[in-house]
Amino acid sequence: MGFFLLLAGFMVEIIGSGSVRMPAWPMNLFIIIIIVAYFFLVHYFFRNPFVKWLSSVPAAIASISFFTLMVMLMGFIQQGSAYASDTWYGQLGLTRITSGWPYLFTAVYLLVVLGFTIVRRIRVFTLNNIAFLLNHAGLWVIVVAASLGSADMWRLSMQLNKRHPETTAYDGNRQAYDVGIGMLLLDFSIEEYPPEIGLMRNEDFTLRLEKGGRLAIVEEGGHDALENFALHFTDYIGNARYYDGAYDSSDMDGGARAVYVYATDMFSGDTLSGWVSDGSHEVPPSILKLNQELSLAMVRMKPKKYSSSIRVFTSVEEYRDIYIEVNKPAAIDGWKIYQVGYDERLGRWSQTSTIEMVRDPWLPVVYTGIFMMLLGSLYLLWMGKGRTKTKSS
Amino acid sequence: MSWLDFPTYLLMTSVFWLVALVLMLSPPKSVFHSIKTLFLMLGWAVLITFTISLWVSLERPPFRTLAETRLWYGVFISTIGIVLYYRWRLPLMLAYTLLMALLFLFLNFLNPDTFDKSLMPALQSPWFVPHVVVYIIGYAFLGFSSLIAMVGLLRYYRGKDVTQKLLMADNIVYIGFAFLTYGLLFGALWAKEAWGHYWTWDPKETWAFLTWLAYLLYIHYRLRKRHSEASALWIVALAFVVLMICWFGINYLPSASSSVHTYST
Repeated sequence: MGFFLLLAGFMVEIIGSGSVRMPAWPMNLFIIIIIVAYFFLVHYFFRNPFVKWLSSVPAAIASISFFTLMVMLMGFIQQGSAYASDTWYGQLGLTRITSGWPYLFTAVYLLVVLGFTIVRRIRVFTLNNIAFLLNHAGLWVIVVAASLGSADMWRLSMQLNKRHPETTAYDGNRQAYDVGIGMLLLDFSIEEYPPEIGLMRNEDFTLRLEKGGRLAIVEEGGHDALENFALHFTDYIGNARYYDGAYDSSDMDGGARAVYVYATDMFSGDTLSGWVSDGSHEVPPSILKLNQELSLAMVRMKPKKYSSSIRVFTSVEEYRDIYIEVNKPAAIDGWKIYQVGYDERLGRWSQTSTIEMVRDPWLPVVYTGIFMMLLGSLYLLWMGKGRTKTKSS
Repeated sequence: MSWLDFPTYLLMTSVFWLVALVLMLSPPKSVFHSIKTLFLMLGWAVLITFTISLWVSLERPPFRTLAETRLWYGVFISTIGIVLYYRWRLPLMLAYTLLMALLFLFLNFLNPDTFDKSLMPALQSPWFVPHVVVYIIGYAFLGFSSLIAMVGLLRYYRGKDVTQKLLMADNIVYIGFAFLTYGLLFGALWAKEAWGHYWTWDPKETWAFLTWLAYLLYIHYRLRKRHSEASALWIVALAFVVLMICWFGINYLPSASSSVHTYST
């Protein structure tokens, strides 16, 4: 059964009917209604040995095995349209498995077996059976809603600026869409971790961090030690300009972080001093060479948090201000707005903010499935395999 | 407290636990046998002390890097071993889990972590701790089940009965599987908040799902009336290989180079 489906899938793939495309609203809803009706009709009126087999444990094992095989191929072969579509495995659609026919056939096989199993167990209301149904039906609901709902999902990215409201968003294939709302970046800000200094190898500019090595956190007036070097940070400038071999503080945007360091070699007693900076798009970086082998260097800024304040225009006069940061999206006008990125070349001086707008009408259905499985798994956790437990000797 | 202090703590835990294991060899009613509890608990307390103080000094939950997850694995699997020992008297399993915990901690000694307080914005979420903790607990249970499977396979090929071992593996797999399910579903709920979609077939997701499928296969295989005990034991033993690939083997897979789950520096 599974072999036949896999073979058929690869045949369709070779004959070349392109990728699988999921139907959109309302076609997907009709399909779901028809599938569910089909399960019940067949179960109650047309039960034959084959249908009975489809809800059996061996069928479950077979369908899980074939599905696992497809996912395993996905785990080993790099996925994405950019990867080797002219190789033999690319021809078989193995670099875009989830939109290929063999995957679709094995997934449908799994869902059919799951469907008949659910229908067969649906009338018995014991606690054990309810947990069984929550787990199996939950999984069915998640997979069906996620795959058939995927055509109704929108994921667009937009780059916001402070000059004018942006109305054009792009999908994954760089196709432009007018989304009907305008978004103006009011403010973009980055909170950063304190600057850190580490020992860098002169030969290949890599940090020496193996064997429990660490970085020194820069604080004005602070002391620290890295390997055999004692460090003393006398001056720290958060927004520095470079002028005539030294760094000086500045009021203008675009500066770098710079620290003046005294480094004493604890073996020889020699002391060196100088500026260390990670630089910015306008200011050059500096390292402090300690010996032939090592230098002190500042590590690139690590963002702690970045966020955008955005004015969203839903019409010419009406607007609402929203605030977003990573892990804290905002909802407006049926969209969810996510903070995605910024101009990394400019770092904390970025004038733009990249956001993603997502619309996923099937999400509540998927979440219903997720919560069903969360509840069902609680029973597994509590009972173990329960039924076949025997007294240990 | 940092990873630089780790070798001292590891040495203390190792000595305490090894003493406890040696004491367990003495006759069950003897004094030596009963003071093993003291050494067991001392070793455990040292490990917990290190873990808590690392958490405090990092000023962020220590769940980000591989070494940090290995530390938690050591904590959870030894805890499970100790609890199950006092619940069901499984001395062999206690020995296995303690040695397994020490093995994972020893890996941290060989590959120590950089002391790094930073936590990238994507990980700053209330989901971070529960997502990783349920996975590591799941891994600890499933690691335990693979140990049972290996003991079972040894017995099987010596012609001994393995029914009892399989029943034990069943219960442990069900518990571990429930934790894996929670890990996947928490991950999906978090991903929706952080990345805009609950499932993106990121290589780590793919492998976590594969791990889940492997244990799902075992569970269903065991429900089949006619099945071979050897095959069942092999499935549990090999499922753990898939789990290991998901946990750190993935770092060496070319297909996973684009994963968003790479958080080590």
